[in-house]
Amino acid sequence: MALIDIENLEVTFGSRGHVVHALRGVSLSVEEGESFGIVGESGSGKSTVLRAACGLAPVSGGRILIDGVPVATPRDAAFYRRVQMVFQDPYASLHPRHTIDRVLSEPLAIHGFDRREARVEQALVEVGLGAGFRFRYPHQLSGGQRQRVAIARALILEPKVILLDEPTSALDASIQAEVLNLLDRLRAERGLTYVLVSHDLAVVSHMCERLMVMQNGQVVEQLTRQALQDHATTKDYTRNLLTASEGFTRSPVPHS
Amino acid sequence: MTELDADHANQGLRQWLLSEQPASRRQARSGQAYRAWLAFRANRLGMLGLGIVLALVLVAIFAGFIAPYDPLLGGDLRTERLLPPSWDHLMGTDDLARDIFSRVVHGSRVTLLVVGLVAIIATPVGLLVGTTAGYFGGWVDTVLMRVTDIFLAFPRLILALAFVAALGPGIENAIIAIAITSWPPYARLARAETLTIRNAEHIDAIRLQGASSGRIIWGHVVPLCLSSVIIRVTLDMAGIILTAAGLGFLGLGAQPPQPEWGAMIAAGRKFLIDYWWVATMPGLAIFIVSLGFNFLGDGLRDVLDPKAQK
Repeated sequence: MALIDIENLEVTFGSRGHVVHALRGVSLSVEEGESFGIVGESGSGKSTVLRAACGLAPVSGGRILIDGVPVATPRDAAFYRRVQMVFQDPYASLHPRHTIDRVLSEPLAIHGFDRREARVEQALVEVGLGAGFRFRYPHQLSGGQRQRVAIARALILEPKVILLDEPTSALDASIQAEVLNLLDRLRAERGLTYVLVSHDLAVVSHMCERLMVMQNGQVVEQLTRQALQDHATTKDYTRNLLTASEGFTRSPVPHS
Repeated sequence: MTELDADHANQGLRQWLLSEQPASRRQARSGQAYRAWLAFRANRLGMLGLGIVLALVLVAIFAGFIAPYDPLLGGDLRTERLLPPSWDHLMGTDDLARDIFSRVVHGSRVTLLVVGLVAIIATPVGLLVGTTAGYFGGWVDTVLMRVTDIFLAFPRLILALAFVAALGPGIENAIIAIAITSWPPYARLARAETLTIRNAEHIDAIRLQGASSGRIIWGHVVPLCLSSVIIRVTLDMAGIILTAAGLGFLGLGAQPPQPEWGAMIAAGRKFLIDYWWVATMPGLAIFIVSLGFNFLGDGLRDVLDPKAQK
């Protein structure tokens, strides 16, 4: 049985005649310990899949199952302890008036964790920031450092699943690689399951064993990393996407 | 030598405050406050406003020591009525032979009481209504904001008059009436701010941590609305002082013989032409304090409002 099962997910926004179908029957399943990628152009609904999964977007049809059990709406505390999310823009995802310490200790307080001080310091060390960062404000950090804080925040509740919504697209190239390597290392150490959304095929083929291509709120096709690297696609849309991405990366990204 | 040591200690404190790597919550918070203070200090008009407001507070606290005469008991009614300003009576005397300077000094207590209590009552109410309406949206928003609209539809002084008429004249009732009529603009402002904040990713993030709505509103939305509301309250202080004075002028605020600036102007109105100082001196006090609050509010806006940053 898969860890995450999404069946025929439908999401519609708007009301009274002006309805936007953001997702039209999207299905996917992710095994435990797997890293699953979702690629597509802007507006294809790839981020909406993640937002719907964690209850930030209104689900109008279909089912979401974790460990074979349908998730409750609104999501309960147990769900948030299992599934966490890292957002796209590290400049928007940290509260501008809260210190890093507050950002990291608040989830611990909400869920009644013990040894909060030690956990906060450990979380900072694990994402490659020292304890010296603990009492800084977000505006005193760079974009890469902020995204590390966001990753630490997602990890501090010790979840099994991390939803990554374009975690590196707001960062410049060298920082991107650092953050991706950090995510890779954390997954290996903790046996995490990732669902990664990106418009960057290079990032997805570096991070994910399997991926799904989306367009206009629908699944175009699902394929493995090997198939992607061999250009063994069956759909024209995927082929176009691949050609477009090779405009600037001629060779596949080497594995670390 | 000791001066040098003190200088060293100051340098150390400054470095401790401005450290990029604070070692404790307290240091982070004081550092943040110190940076805001440094930014505020550069604003001359803001500092002038702060000076006036601080002077008002000090005068109110030490009114008993500053005032040379009793504010309620007059002098000799045959010889000391309506004396012009002199060294004996800095602002002259009124028609009951009371020293106007002493009355203005004691009147600062009433003014400060009005300003302080209105701020303490109206700001939290406005913030709570506005952030709740903005955060939840839907029917909660509709109900709360229509109530706000009803309060906003009345001119402030008229509504305050109605409340005072219903509750009976007196300074306490005037304060309640002013507080009831001054929260709606704060609710509107807080709601507008909340609407821009509620879809921010950091709010989504804390929601995904499983935080309750109360925790999100209080801990995450309110701190971001607070600065613009504080600015607005400070700028409104001038208006609140004028409303209180207006109620006093109409005889619905502080009751005689309590020294209240608005009531003092009303008393001086009868002989404005011949004895100008009786109405002018409390008027000057209202003018200076209102100006002080306006300067302070403008200064705070330059420091706190991210949208007004140059």
